[in-house]
Amino acid sequence: MSTGIRTERTADDLALVTFDQPGAAANVLSREVLQALDGALDWVAAQPGLRGVVFLSAKPTIFIAGADVKQLAALDHDDALRAMIREGQRVFARVGDLAVPSVAAIHGACLGGGCELALACDYRVASDDHRTRIGLPETSLGIVPAWGGCTRLPRLVGFPKACDLILGAKRLAPKPALRAGLVDAVVPREALLTMARRLVAKGRPVRKRHGVVNQALIAGGIARVVSRDLEHRTRGHYPAVYRALDAMRRGLRVSVAESQRLEEEAVVQLAVTPTCHNLMRVFFQQERAKHLRLDNAHPPPRLERVAVIGAGVMGAGIAQWLSAHERAVILKDVDVDRVRQGMATIATLYREAVRHHVLEAVAARAGLDRLAPTAVEVPLAGTELVIEAAVENMTIKQEIFRRLGEATPAETILATNTSALSVTELARVVRHPERVIGVHFFNPVHRMQLVEVIVGAQTAPAVVDRVLRFVQEVGKLPVVVQDRPGFVVNRILMPYLIEAGHLFEAGAPVARIDEAMLDFGMPMGPLRLIDEVGVDVASHVAGHLSACFGARMAVPAVLSAMVAAGQLGRKRGSGFYRHAGGNRARPHAALAKHVRNREAAGLDEDALVDRMALLMVNEGARCLDEGVVGEAQDVDFAMIMGTGFSPFRGGPLRYADGRGIVNVVRELDRLAARVHARFEPCERLRRMAEREETFYHDMTGGDHRLQGGGSRPEGGGA
Amino acid sequence: MKTARLVIIDGVRTPFARAGTEFAALPADELGRVAVRALLLKTGFDPGLVDEVIFGCVGQPADATNVGRVIALRAGVPRQVPAITVSRNCASGFEAVTQAYEKLAAGRGSIFIVGGVESMSQYPLLYPYAGAQKFARLNKARTWPARLAALAAFRPRDFAPRVSLIMGLTDPVSGFNMGETAELLTRENGITREMQDALAMDSHRKAIAARARLAEEITPVYAGPAYVRALAEDNGPRTDQTPAVLAKLRPVFERQTGTVTAGNSSQISDGAVALLVMSEERAAALGLTPLGVLTGYAYRGCDPARMGLGPLAAIAAAEDALKLGLADADLIEINEAFAGQVLAVMKLAESAEYARTALGREHALGVVRPEILNVNGGAVALGHPVGATGARLVLTALKELQRRRARRALVTLCVGGGQGAALWLERGGA
Repeated sequence: MSTGIRTERTADDLALVTFDQPGAAANVLSREVLQALDGALDWVAAQPGLRGVVFLSAKPTIFIAGADVKQLAALDHDDALRAMIREGQRVFARVGDLAVPSVAAIHGACLGGGCELALACDYRVASDDHRTRIGLPETSLGIVPAWGGCTRLPRLVGFPKACDLILGAKRLAPKPALRAGLVDAVVPREALLTMARRLVAKGRPVRKRHGVVNQALIAGGIARVVSRDLEHRTRGHYPAVYRALDAMRRGLRVSVAESQRLEEEAVVQLAVTPTCHNLMRVFFQQERAKHLRLDNAHPPPRLERVAVIGAGVMGAGIAQWLSAHERAVILKDVDVDRVRQGMATIATLYREAVRHHVLEAVAARAGLDRLAPTAVEVPLAGTELVIEAAVENMTIKQEIFRRLGEATPAETILATNTSALSVTELARVVRHPERVIGVHFFNPVHRMQLVEVIVGAQTAPAVVDRVLRFVQEVGKLPVVVQDRPGFVVNRILMPYLIEAGHLFEAGAPVARIDEAMLDFGMPMGPLRLIDEVGVDVASHVAGHLSACFGARMAVPAVLSAMVAAGQLGRKRGSGFYRHAGGNRARPHAALAKHVRNREAAGLDEDALVDRMALLMVNEGARCLDEGVVGEAQDVDFAMIMGTGFSPFRGGPLRYADGRGIVNVVRELDRLAARVHARFEPCERLRRMAEREETFYHDMTGGDHRLQGGGSRPEGGGA
Repeated sequence: MKTARLVIIDGVRTPFARAGTEFAALPADELGRVAVRALLLKTGFDPGLVDEVIFGCVGQPADATNVGRVIALRAGVPRQVPAITVSRNCASGFEAVTQAYEKLAAGRGSIFIVGGVESMSQYPLLYPYAGAQKFARLNKARTWPARLAALAAFRPRDFAPRVSLIMGLTDPVSGFNMGETAELLTRENGITREMQDALAMDSHRKAIAARARLAEEITPVYAGPAYVRALAEDNGPRTDQTPAVLAKLRPVFERQTGTVTAGNSSQISDGAVALLVMSEERAAALGLTPLGVLTGYAYRGCDPARMGLGPLAAIAAAEDALKLGLADADLIEINEAFAGQVLAVMKLAESAEYARTALGREHALGVVRPEILNVNGGAVALGHPVGATGARLVLTALKELQRRRARRALVTLCVGGGQGAALWLERGGA
């Protein structure tokens, strides 16, 4: 038998087909593995007197993670892609046509192609393990499930549910998968084979036909509603969801074979789009962040005991996240009431997590139990990592760090969650400053995956490596940044927010400014974002950055005026918007007095976008030039994960590549001449324009060869 | 023979809250968890070094049996450390301490987390036995006619709840409610309503004056479903308590002629205490300065109907064993189960006749000097979460010895079911 698949026959005449990719933690469906599966099916066909076939994985956390995305991304022409799609469809069709009942016995991640293999089986049984996740997340990569996913899922669970799963790129836990009808049974991992035997004994299943919802007219109606909803949520930027919807709807009216032609067409057409390339790139960047290391030689002991200093929104958010990820957490603040408020915040986060089925009630209680709140000094000798999340004031922070330095042994890592202050300067007051580092979480902590790991001038590499692993272990994605004001995310975001303020002062209406950036693909308009983070906070960070970088970060007068007037944004119910309950907000008419001229009043959407987005490009290029991060993809990844910068555009620098650096520089020059010197393109951009360089070297024109960046020992899948 | 000495390194407790108030929603395991977590936080002690966790509790929650184990696990004590729950009724908190000593003496470990916990708010209502049997029958009925027949057997009285708190506070042997035992003592010893109310008034006054001192042993509790409030001090002591208010209260247990009221009885409360104790040798090896030392102790039985006199028998037994008497104490705690009961103990301690007839000794025990008795208030003001009180008395007395730089404390409790308990403690450290 060839690589990665074992076959055996049991005493009771079952064929067991076990996926076990040698030397990897994950199974992925590469061309070679498909071939091996084909061979295994030959073997099955040659076995006389079989009662059933069971598909299994020998991996502890993964059934099949999906198609080999690296291989997919490297296919350099349509025909190769088409051939690979057809091959998968053909092999899975053989699974579906087996003469005896087939069962997918799923433990661990069963995603994309893995899920499509399971769908080709007669039955699916899943382990009740928390690592078991089943779904078709292809649309998040800008493609559609094309090994029968768009065809078989609507037939199994009904069109509406299939839309929900495929368009939402959902990864269902075992219980929801059972409720959705995606699996037939959920049992303990050890009982998977027992259950599979029982299912085989039942013979081929008679499935519910979903006659009503899958009927052409009704499915068409549902599709129109879903499509409108997609339009509202994605503003048309993600073609894959429309193509998946279309393939599913039309596929229901034709045979399985014809329906699979529709899937194939959709993938082949989507695979050449920049959107798909950029989304795949984000996928590779995520994989890279998951395995980022400074030093692979000796895995250091895990950081288990943590203290968080400061019980405000950030401190409480961090403490909650860490306690939910099995860390014992001391939460300290200066008085009982602040600690109480922090604990109340944490309790609410846990309650919400339970309500949204993110955590079971027992797990939530265990998380709360791991917290040790205190309003007085306590011994910290046993603490391995301290994360300071106090107010953004260097004097206060230094005082805290000076004391922490004395209260902890030299091995204790001291981290600051500062969003802008210098880690190096903070470390000056600390005994053993090489253990001081920045660990910048984003708000809300439980939703934002990015963590900036800030390396001070004095930070020891071993400390950086240990913190990287810690960040990864608690399920966050790190980006390593050097200690420069604003690090990378806030530094690039701030000119954009500031420009939104300038545009407002120059007469552009609030709604138009925000709408332009929503259309650009940002998750929230800049003025709305200022309201959410707090006008005072935004203004404070901007003030700090303008002190470091001068005029291009100067705080617009409107922000200062709003702070003075107490219009601090959502938390006070009024900022650029008036905030009613929930998510409702309307532009705040009383702000009109801060409009100074009409210079930007007539700008169309493209012009508004240029003024805001190109400043991010410019600042991103500066970050790269100054070595704040190592690579262009670090800038883009940080902006996508830290601010939600339109993932389909691949980040600000990738966006610049797409527009052409020459065009970017020309436009910035024009704005610098007509509006303000803050648009002056940086040296790096000018140089690149002259030499006709791009930020990314593996991407030219319509070529869709992609390199999975960096080290990726496990080979993820889609 | 030189036996190992048990030292108390440090301790911490939750505030005590009147039942039905701030901690009403917190089950005993939660209260205990808060206390143990705070103890570990305050001491910075590595729980992996602990040999066993011993917790006193009288009414264990039905959903957390062996509540000591639940507390240990939830507080982050490693799972290989065993845990046990002990009950000697009102002396359960003492029992946890003395059992640690006994295990130490027997060579069964040298470092313990001990304590006591009670959620009197969460004592359940129970179905009467007859009703419970009918539920069981209904559960077993498989057919509809059988189910109907089983249903038809129910009578209204089957649903009348039995209050487990009241049952727990009633002595099953004598049939006396705890309050009735107190009434008996006041009648027999000529203790008036005024005397009792005066002691109660004093208890509140002392507890209020001791706020800052008591805060040294208390950890604020950030708990409860919404965390809307953090309780940082006992809520039993009343700043607005007056003799006039106390005098107005109706007797609870003997409505016509009784003298025991809610005002001069201990409060029914919720709370938890945790102490870190170990052998003197281990403390020295770890470089820890003890708060105090357990010098010795005695438990003795007495008439269940006069359980309030239990301390006298225990003090006498401890004197026989340790040669330490009332005159040797720099501080005395007599748990204020009832003001009248404490007054009876004080009176009979001076009685040679009681010593001869009840204690089998020639001389009276001696004088309980009021100025060294319950100096920071007692259970009348602070509350009496039964399983926790013993551990609280140890903690409070040791902290006070430290403050006064005094030598010895005698800490006693009367115990429902007719027992007394007496512990002798010494101040630790230099």
